[in-house]
Amino acid sequence: MTASSTPLVALEDVHLSFGANEVLKGIDLTVARGEAVSIIGPSGSGKSTILRCINALLAPSRGRITVNGVRVDALRSEAERIALRKRIGIVFQQYNLFPHLTVLDNITIAPIRILKENRAAAESHARALLERVRLADKVAAYPGQLSGGQQQRVAIARALAMRPDLVLFDEVTSALDPETVGEVLAVIRGLVREGMTSLLVTHEMRFAEEISDKVVFTENGRIVEEGPPAQIFHRSGNPRIRQFVRGLGAREAVQPGEGI
Amino acid sequence: MQDAIRGFIALAGQVGLNFDFLASPFELRMWLDGMGTTLVLVALTLPLSLAGGVVLAAALTSGRPWLAGPARAYVELTRNTPTLVQLMFTVLVVNMLISQALGGAQNNPFGAYFWLVAVVSLHVAAFHAEALRGGIEAVPAATVEAARGLGFSRLEVLRVVELPLALRTALPAIVNNLVNLVKLTTIGYAVAVNEITYASLMIWTQRDNVVELMIVLLLFFSLINLAVARIGAFVERRLAVPGFGQ
Repeated sequence: MTASSTPLVALEDVHLSFGANEVLKGIDLTVARGEAVSIIGPSGSGKSTILRCINALLAPSRGRITVNGVRVDALRSEAERIALRKRIGIVFQQYNLFPHLTVLDNITIAPIRILKENRAAAESHARALLERVRLADKVAAYPGQLSGGQQQRVAIARALAMRPDLVLFDEVTSALDPETVGEVLAVIRGLVREGMTSLLVTHEMRFAEEISDKVVFTENGRIVEEGPPAQIFHRSGNPRIRQFVRGLGAREAVQPGEGI
Repeated sequence: MQDAIRGFIALAGQVGLNFDFLASPFELRMWLDGMGTTLVLVALTLPLSLAGGVVLAAALTSGRPWLAGPARAYVELTRNTPTLVQLMFTVLVVNMLISQALGGAQNNPFGAYFWLVAVVSLHVAAFHAEALRGGIEAVPAATVEAARGLGFSRLEVLRVVELPLALRTALPAIVNNLVNLVKLTTIGYAVAVNEITYASLMIWTQRDNVVELMIVLLLFFSLINLAVARIGAFVERRLAVPGFGQ
């Protein structure tokens, strides 16, 4: 985990509104190369919106966003935004695989069509990625034939197939049942250990504490506190954060076997 | 061949059906030409209507007013007016204006046949477009977002994700439209294109054998549309995806 002097991702005073609803009210955030940063906070606090601003799926109304030296907020053409998105992987809560394509085609379609990789190279890379997410036997399956956890691991492989500089994880375990959460988190843990720059929005507090170099707590479109995991989870002076962390931690502890 | 035709005429005569015209080489050729013309019309208008439908659906769902607006206006105009009137209008008015502009009908490359193909294809294209638009709008926004997040352009998202999924949803409606398209080629009789209904009309006005030719007409179109429906069902099976839309 080598943090270079200039961050890979930098947000400065980012504001965004949907109509009269101000979702982001001045976000400052940096992610260094090779770093894993987790964003936690209550639902509706703007966490997912931050991720969508970074890969230009949403445009901020004010503020500066820099990714790898590129001013994202200044991008005007679709071609420029596409060039940016090619370098940034994103994994969603609902997997969002292409239902009409096999697992292999889901992973290879973007490298073949966007990066112009030849099919053989794209497929061998895809097979290696499937090996890594332990789904090598599902090459020919369709998303509808897979469990949620399996689909999410394919979605991670699809993002990695573009050889991104950065991967955004948007509550990727929130739609999964407790038993399959672990298999997805194991894949992400492996990526982070290898130094893949990762920005995660998550409700998995223990996981965030374990893998993150930095944790950011957001509420109502603002960053309330950021710091090393130990500080946010155990030594925060902010009663709201202590309450939030304790509340989720308690719910997590109940999960295995004790549910009805 | 002559013997076979004579045998058939005699056999039909025994059950009271008058197929005497088959013995006239002139009428026989006109009748067979009519069948051939209808088949060629179907072979031309069917793919043209599909291509037009895809382009119109893309325009309708583009989110760009300068594309979606004219496409919407065209769809409404063609859906809400009789196809026969559209055909008359193009042949009698548009074609005449083109002739005038080019300094006489002899310089006009277009004729009734061209306008028949154009009107039928573009008319049915409007119906395809509406079916496909429904399918495109049924693709979850999150799936489109995932494609854009990977770096696909809007046009590629349409081609790689939205259209393949929309086609699966819209296929039953599209096959319906194609069955109608086959029948719609018969309006060619109104502008003297020698398709099978026009050829039959020419024969029965001379022979008074309406019932006989009607039987053949109905069988002929039934067979074409049976084939269209079977091909549609085959494509539907081929495109079926496990765990999607079932």
